Amino acid sequence: MSVQYVDPTVSRAKFDREIAEYKALGEEYRRLGWFLVHAEYPRVLVVLAAAKLTPSPIIMGVAFDYTNYDAAPPSVRIVNSYTGEPYKHRELPTQLNRSLPQQEIPLPGFDAVPMMKLQSVQPYMQAYGPEEIPFLCIAGVREYHDHPAHSGDIWELHRQEGAGRLVRLLEIVHRYGIAPIAGFGVQLVPQVGINYGPPPP
Amino acid sequence: MPHQNKVNLIVVVNGRPVEVGENIHAPLRALINQALEKSGNSGQPIENWELRDAGGTILAPERKLEEFSFPDGTKLFLNLKAGIGG
Repeated sequence: MSVQYVDPTVSRAKFDREIAEYKALGEEYRRLGWFLVHAEYPRVLVVLAAAKLTPSPIIMGVAFDYTNYDAAPPSVRIVNSYTGEPYKHRELPTQLNRSLPQQEIPLPGFDAVPMMKLQSVQPYMQAYGPEEIPFLCIAGVREYHDHPAHSGDIWELHRQEGAGRLVRLLEIVHRYGIAPIAGFGVQLVPQVGINYGPPPP
Repeated sequence: MPHQNKVNLIVVVNGRPVEVGENIHAPLRALINQALEKSGNSGQPIENWELRDAGGTILAPERKLEEFSFPDGTKLFLNLKAGIGG
């Protein structure tokens, strides 16, 4: 639970503007599969569905806490859409992976031609362990700026450009967590047994 | 009478709409620059922003507006990229 140290009137006004601007374009966002299901200062819950699939499954909820906004960035958690509980790292429906540039590594013993190609990914959701609540590790998110590893990348460097804005953060979660969904994954495990007819008299 | 070579679009910058008009022969980069300027987001290079259409398709800034045949009033969405993170 965060302590409100900014004049609540200021934070609330900025929060209300975020919500009003979201609602003004709500139809556009709904087409992407975004559903604003709760917005009461300082919290917002938006549920994201994979709109391009039929039927369209709900993939995750994104919970925001705009306490002290925008003197401080919002907290962002990926949550269970139905309970609102933050997912532990091992429960995440997606880790919001970003493809890194492909690396070509020469194979030892061969001349330059044969190259091993490595395609690695970087998850934007970070945690210390599978049982921990992960956080969205990008500038504009409270957990990122509170982390000691990012003390050199302070919120004030990103505040003016709207890095903590609701739509900007939802766009990122959508881009890496929803847009890459290509279809349903179905695993069928056939089991072979012996079927007997009626037993002989 | 509207100018034949000009298209008026709405660019939603980090969730906030701004109206921009641009020549259809110009690259999207010019549109992005204009939208960033009008929305007061001039602190970041254009490479740190990403433009998409309403369907979610990312639009390369080098492409020209005329390639898309956007009607007046079309909404495009300009968003600050996630960055390196991690």
